[in-house]
Amino acid sequence: MEQARSSWVIYLSLGCALLFMLLPFPLEWRVFRPDIATLALFYWILALPHRVGVTTAFFLGIGQDLIEGSPIGLSSLGLMISVLVLMSNYQRIRQFDGVQQSLMILVLLMLTSGSEQWLRNGLEMPGLPWLGLIGLLSSTACWLIIRELLRLLRRYYEVN
Amino acid sequence: MVAVQQTAVDVVGTVTSIVLAPVDAWDRLVAAMNSRRDLQDEVLRLQQENRVLKGQNQRLAALLSENARYKALLRSAQLIDDELIAAQIIAVSPDAARHIVVIDKGVLDGVEVGQPMLGEEGLMGQIILTGDRNSRAVLITDSAHALPVQVNRSGLRAIAEGSGMIDRLLIRHLPAKSDIRVGDLLVTSGLGGRFPNGYPVARVVEVVVAEGEAFALVTAEPISALDRGRYVLVLQRTVGSGAES
Repeated sequence: MEQARSSWVIYLSLGCALLFMLLPFPLEWRVFRPDIATLALFYWILALPHRVGVTTAFFLGIGQDLIEGSPIGLSSLGLMISVLVLMSNYQRIRQFDGVQQSLMILVLLMLTSGSEQWLRNGLEMPGLPWLGLIGLLSSTACWLIIRELLRLLRRYYEVN
Repeated sequence: MVAVQQTAVDVVGTVTSIVLAPVDAWDRLVAAMNSRRDLQDEVLRLQQENRVLKGQNQRLAALLSENARYKALLRSAQLIDDELIAAQIIAVSPDAARHIVVIDKGVLDGVEVGQPMLGEEGLMGQIILTGDRNSRAVLITDSAHALPVQVNRSGLRAIAEGSGMIDRLLIRHLPAKSDIRVGDLLVTSGLGGRFPNGYPVARVVEVVVAEGEAFALVTAEPISALDRGRYVLVLQRTVGSGAES
């Protein structure tokens, strides 16, 4: 396996994506906020599955929970499951065109938030409102933009 | 675990202040460019408001001491002095299922878990996690939150649950023949010991009694504008020696 190069770009971009969660949103509009951090994670998995994996997903989930103030680990499980699915299919998903890939990302996002919802039910925490599905759609709509941006970054810094 | 979360609140608070710094700077710039005339009007308005409030406060002081005398006569409750900590909401939790906010005051300012948070007009929520300089508070409309209230007009007691919607509180399990009407003011009842009694919470907007149902479904709208306004007060309770017997 090649030597890892410029891997700081990966972690910096994931950190910046987490910062996006801190941007002020009106209370009632939070459901529409695209989940940039998860999308960035999916991109890095697709691009460099030998560098980024379940461990990164775990820590990203922890980061999300600390920012949200929810029980630690709540977001991790969903992320780890969908990352596993993505890692076992990345070669096929890479070949998809934009629309197909976006649909695949939507399915993965549903898997992520579905597992989180399941944990919330078990913990007797309030679940996401139905409008939350719109949030998944807005995340899906952002996928191609995020993919292009991160691809530029990856090529510029020759991340490997 | 809790220590990590407490540190995280502080980190979130600090980072948010940095992210929001340009917005704050812009606000300050706009404020600085307010014309002298506007400011004079504002000062005049505030002075008048202040006079009115001071007037009302005089009566309050008299009532409080009267109340204390009665309590002393009854040899009952301790006198409770309320102190307020002024704070600002600096962030809203990204978790769309919860109504949780971050404020810019923490343990170092005297904030503790369980203290009530007030808006200008009424109760907003309570503190659930404290860091050194920032804390997290849950709003009364969070769907995991409920508080004991009392109808101000009739003294009827009930539990107001958060609905997950920012402008709605629900009262379930109230007998269909209860004395509660649209427009009634709900205040904290003081039961449960978490919130002191007498703070305005919400106003009833709908009372639905379905045919044949044993319970009425009451909907109320919080008095405080929970999704607007950045300035809040955290209520610090100190038990005084006043009327203790």
